[in-house]
Amino acid sequence: MTLKDWLRSGFLRTHCSSRQEIVELFAISDRDLANCRTTGLDAEWRMAIAYNAALQAATAALAAEGYRPARGESHHWRVIQSLAHTVGADGDTVEQFDRFRKKRNLSAYERSGAVSDQEAEEMRSLAERLREAVGQWIQTAHPELAPGNAKA
Amino acid sequence: MHPDQRWYLRDIARRTGCALGNLRRELSGLAEAEIVTTTRDGNRRYYQANPACPLFPELAGLIRKTVGLAEVLRDALVPLGDRVAAAFIYGSQASQETKAASDVDLLVIGRATFADVASAVGPLQETLGREINPTVYPADEFRRKVRAGHHFLKAVLCGEKMFLIGGERDLKRLAEKRFPPDAL
Repeated sequence: MTLKDWLRSGFLRTHCSSRQEIVELFAISDRDLANCRTTGLDAEWRMAIAYNAALQAATAALAAEGYRPARGESHHWRVIQSLAHTVGADGDTVEQFDRFRKKRNLSAYERSGAVSDQEAEEMRSLAERLREAVGQWIQTAHPELAPGNAKA
Repeated sequence: MHPDQRWYLRDIARRTGCALGNLRRELSGLAEAEIVTTTRDGNRRYYQANPACPLFPELAGLIRKTVGLAEVLRDALVPLGDRVAAAFIYGSQASQETKAASDVDLLVIGRATFADVASAVGPLQETLGREINPTVYPADEFRRKVRAGHHFLKAVLCGEKMFLIGGERDLKRLAEKRFPPDAL
């Protein structure tokens, strides 16, 4: 499976990204990475905020590669799986991220409160790792889009 | 569940809670159909699942997905060793309200992380045909939240539980006792 295959199957659309877009997605990711440390917030929310930080970073990588997910139910799943094809995330990382996706869905719709502080921390550390990886990857793979680089 | 093990009659009676007479009749029927094999060792007769029986894979699958659920999950958690202080299934699976597509809700208390537990039980989702949703608490956080009357833990602790590791007493101990930071 490649991103091109997903495009052919209609799971992705082509997308023309810009430095401005990457800057904005990174800004949301960084904002959420800061917000998920807010003490006094429930673990469930902190996990959801950290999850969003990671998702925005993954979306930025996909956009830089020239794609965006087609709208639909598996939107988040696609973006998470795409990390293997953009930044070359390993199977464990992708799987861990996807488990948090399920956990977030469950806590939103069925099992409110079934998130521990430790789990929120695990999601935060995963999000930090991914945000870092996407930042570095864009510098080398798409320097023309990297925030802070002089216009190519 | 354990086709490599053989069991003698009283052992099976103890584990299943069936009367000896009924059990003997059922087993001789199963032996006749070659679903189980019997061996004699001294004056004891042993019964064992027969993997050569053409129905074996289907029967094993049925058991794994129903009454054997807890055992399958326990086996998956055992490699985490003392990093799991207690683990149980709660929700519809524990209260036997299981619908075909019921998820398995799993609560784990100990030093293991969510990633550890999710990787240990993840591969079972396909075998069991059900999603497994773990929630993992370090002992300290568990105790703190139980004491604070955390709504989720309160509901779970009041509800039905199917223990995989530890039991009610361990849970009570975990909820009450203060641990040195590295103990659990």
